[in-house]
Amino acid sequence: MNTQNESEQVLNLSQELRRGILPLAVLSLLKEKKYGYALIGDLAAAGIEIDQGTLYPMLRRLELQALLESSWILEGARPRRYYVISEQGSRILEILSQEWKNLNQLMEKLLGNVPN
Amino acid sequence: MNLIERYLHEVRRYLPAKNREDILAEIRSHLTDTLEERVKGDPGEEDMESLLKEMGSPRKLAASYPGGEQYLIGPELYPFFRMVAGIVLAAVLGAQLLAVGVGLWMGEETFRFWEVFGQIVMSVPVSIGWVIIVFVILQKRGVQPKVDEADWDPKSLPVVEETDAVKKGERIFGIAAGSIILALLAAFSDRIGIVVFPGGNFYPNPVLQQMVPWISLSLLASIALDIYLVWQGRWTLGSRIARVAVNLVSITVLVLLVQGHTAWLTAHGSNGFLVTIENLALATPESFQNMGMAAFNLAFVVALVVTWIETIVLLIRLVRPMVRKETLPGIMVK
Repeated sequence: MNTQNESEQVLNLSQELRRGILPLAVLSLLKEKKYGYALIGDLAAAGIEIDQGTLYPMLRRLELQALLESSWILEGARPRRYYVISEQGSRILEILSQEWKNLNQLMEKLLGNVPN
Repeated sequence: MNLIERYLHEVRRYLPAKNREDILAEIRSHLTDTLEERVKGDPGEEDMESLLKEMGSPRKLAASYPGGEQYLIGPELYPFFRMVAGIVLAAVLGAQLLAVGVGLWMGEETFRFWEVFGQIVMSVPVSIGWVIIVFVILQKRGVQPKVDEADWDPKSLPVVEETDAVKKGERIFGIAAGSIILALLAAFSDRIGIVVFPGGNFYPNPVLQQMVPWISLSLLASIALDIYLVWQGRWTLGSRIARVAVNLVSITVLVLLVQGHTAWLTAHGSNGFLVTIENLALATPESFQNMGMAAFNLAFVVALVVTWIETIVLLIRLVRPMVRKETLPGIMVK
């Protein structure tokens, strides 16, 4: 039944893990307003690689959920769409951060017990 | 037009109408920013190519946006779609079979099997098509079924019917009804027909009289099998096949009866059921006799439809275990 090879499996599973934390990472970096391209740079600097084709739709989804606010700002000759976390987004970010810390502790305990 | 514009043009095709220009403007601004940073001076074809490769195909990019989903009926609506499609299909097929039965009984034009069969087959894609259209509209309008998981009660789970268990009530009813008809046929073999009150005029039913031996035979076989089933308590492959065989005999007898009555009614100037009812107003002996024969005919058509349905259910139960042969993998015992 197993048609994937091992490295493909690792890739898929780790992508799935990362997908879950991306909104949290994005919200945490949008305390001040940024446009998409700059955000990709900040995420990369923090060690989080994100597909350009994934980030922009995700920003729209977060905005649709009222976690982000956005506006077009003209810089020189080029308009850019800036995103910033909303009030609701800030509250949710706080709760999610705590949730992440708890999860992290749990997993540390769980994985620490696995013999290497 | 350069590669970037061609890419955006293609993305536009897949994007939802809402916010389309806004989304495109943002992607354009991102692509220009990236190119500017990567390439000093004018970007060439290869630079654009590698950048677009990173963005992913237009279809995939558009599908990631809210509202850009590339499906007609989403996972939330799909179970309801299946349910509604099933109900519609059952209703459409049922109504057509009923219409065929009524048509046969009313002695309308001779029965053209392939024509009717073709119509019934063609009605399936048409009715499913309409259900799809309705659900696509619901999906586009963002209608979501309200499924409240909190209200779900395990006690509301349907009872699993044991398909192999013989339903004794049904069988005993069959035995009783069959025996009564048999007894009546035997006791009044010379008085099978229609008695009109007041007056007590008797009109024989020649078609039925002719068929009495065959009717008795199929009833006897059916009663014998039902007694065996009640005694055994469980359906087996053999008894299911036997039941199907007995039903096929009954169906044959009933078809002959319906055909005989229809032929008799036609020969006696009864042009369809409605004319027969109208003629009752004349209160002639013939009109009463025609009405009686039409009533017999109706009873046999009903019996025919019921027997057909039972036989189809039996056939499904007979074939299903042969198609679905699933066994558990070997279980290791510690």
